[in-house]
Amino acid sequence: MSAVIEIEGLRKTFRSVRHGPRVAVDGFDLLVEAGQIHGFLGPNGSGKTTTLRALLGLVRADGGRMTVLGEPSPELLPRVAGRVGAIVESPQFFGNFTGRRTLRLLARAGGVSISRVDEALELVGLRDRGDERVKGYSLGMKQRLAVASALLKDPRLLILDEPANGLDPAGIREMRDLMRSLAAAGVTVLVSSHILGEIQLICDHVTIISRGRRVAAGRVDEVLAGHDRHEFLVRVAEPVRAAELLGAAELTAAVEGDALVVSGATDPTVISRVLGEQGLWVSELTPIRPDLESVFLELTGGGEHPSVPRQVDDWARPSGADDAVIDLDVRGVDA
Amino acid sequence: MNLVRAELERLSARRFVQLMVVLLALAFAVTAATTLAGSHKPTSAELSSARAQAAEMLQRKEDTHQACLARQNGTLPPGYTDEYLPADCSEVDPIRQDRLPIAADYLPGVFSFEQQARPLLYFLIAFLVLFGFLVGASYIGADLNSGGVVNLLLWRPRRLTVLGAKLGTLLGTVLALAVAASLVYLATFWVIGQTAGLAGQLSGDFWRSLGAIHGRGLVLVLLATALGFAIATLGRHTSAALGVAAAYAVVWELGARLVMEIVDARRPDRWMLSSHIVAWLNGEVRFWDNQLCTSSSGTGSCSGFYSLTWGPSLVVLLVITGGLTMAAFATFRRRDLI
Repeated sequence: MSAVIEIEGLRKTFRSVRHGPRVAVDGFDLLVEAGQIHGFLGPNGSGKTTTLRALLGLVRADGGRMTVLGEPSPELLPRVAGRVGAIVESPQFFGNFTGRRTLRLLARAGGVSISRVDEALELVGLRDRGDERVKGYSLGMKQRLAVASALLKDPRLLILDEPANGLDPAGIREMRDLMRSLAAAGVTVLVSSHILGEIQLICDHVTIISRGRRVAAGRVDEVLAGHDRHEFLVRVAEPVRAAELLGAAELTAAVEGDALVVSGATDPTVISRVLGEQGLWVSELTPIRPDLESVFLELTGGGEHPSVPRQVDDWARPSGADDAVIDLDVRGVDA
Repeated sequence: MNLVRAELERLSARRFVQLMVVLLALAFAVTAATTLAGSHKPTSAELSSARAQAAEMLQRKEDTHQACLARQNGTLPPGYTDEYLPADCSEVDPIRQDRLPIAADYLPGVFSFEQQARPLLYFLIAFLVLFGFLVGASYIGADLNSGGVVNLLLWRPRRLTVLGAKLGTLLGTVLALAVAASLVYLATFWVIGQTAGLAGQLSGDFWRSLGAIHGRGLVLVLLATALGFAIATLGRHTSAALGVAAAYAVVWELGARLVMEIVDARRPDRWMLSSHIVAWLNGEVRFWDNQLCTSSSGTGSCSGFYSLTWGPSLVVLLVITGGLTMAAFATFRRRDLI
């Protein structure tokens, strides 16, 4: 698969006379391949938007290499800009313009056929409201208009920064369906969001950034699998005794209410066998799967943040699961 | 071209621009209406009387000059007390006067286009300079602040082209508006002069002089527009341009002028932008500075006057505006748009 976005070693430090230097992105890598719906996750201030802005030539990088659709960015970005639709944070529009006029203006500025305006409005479900003034739009409608502006060019790459902002559940579902249909049509989508459940539902690949560094990257299911602690919820008649028996069998078991959480068991039959041999019959044995939220919090909230710059995917790399994370080149002193 | 058309549409859609155009039309309408209401076509009797009064006044000036010369020659009749006679008779020489009495001076309640065209044009130029500065500043300031520029750069990732298209569109629009407004404005007052007042002596010299002021005024409007645009670009906000303008007026034009007077600096007005603006608009402006005489050797006469002419003043205005505009483009090219 060909790379649509490649970022290697991106660095950006904002300097302020009042606040001093602030490292926003510190040797960040990102690889998005053609046809992916790639989630880009990170807490507030982690460097997500700075990365996207640097990629789109809005912020000058201090170091690193970036390409978009095979062209170095920002140097040759104008060559491919016609095939890249993007919204970065919530763009502002003239309140007294109608949605349709707003898009016509952008289409004109970008040399895009005016006929695309209605198509884009149709795609985001605003065709019937296109002649209303933007100031009368809800936040969600403005967000749809922003997505419509990104779709005007009939892009091969769509970069969406927090597209679900302000959308109600129905709007989020429509946005999800839209992204899926675009991906099915061959459009590569890079979407940043803090709605982790949404990312898990939409995206096939994910990159997680924390404090300006990549902390995980790869297929969503593989990243999740990499953080699978092999835990099981076990319901049994005597949980305290069961915990002792499992402990004797070198498994870790913790009593939680009327159940047990057992970890360290790669094979669940071991649990039922150990307990069954002692006459304790398991009434429920459920694997506890990690979700993106727990992985995200683990990697960005409670994870280590060494002061020495390095590529930090190895936090995300589970033991014995090297293939779970793409591009696991480890650089720097910790390598 | 598409970018310019899109910018033109954005510019014309700006509420602030629309408001300023309405204010311009309003000021124009009020001025024209009050002029029309306060003027009437002079009757032939009024005209005859006014001409007689102007001729009488001219004669009195001539008599005063003759009396002054007679005093110099020692032929002034004893007991002459009609007029104050200066030591230098050239001061009362009618030929050396800026203007001589004309009939229009003695026609109260009659609008004279010949007499009023200049001040009316100056008023319009002052308004258009303010219009250009504010619109120039708000056009880019609001766009930088609202993310409009970022939105545009996502479509056209060529910063200098985008900013250049904005400035070019802005200057073109302001110029077109200024030309149209000033022509309609002058034409309206010309019609008022013809129908409800006095046209006056509209000679070729009059039109050439008015045209020159008009042309210089338009250049000034463009410079003010570019200046507002450049300062707002550098400061990222409309308010930056307003703040710089207010700070300049208070700190330099008032404060520094006061300090220069206290320390008896020579020719303080040449350091003031306002002096250069007036010099450019009028072709020349004269200032008086007593320091020029106190420091002279004492031989010969010293009038204490010095002047600024339009050429050097234009250079000063171009250097300041051009320098700030280039700085704005250079800064914008490298700036982080966050």
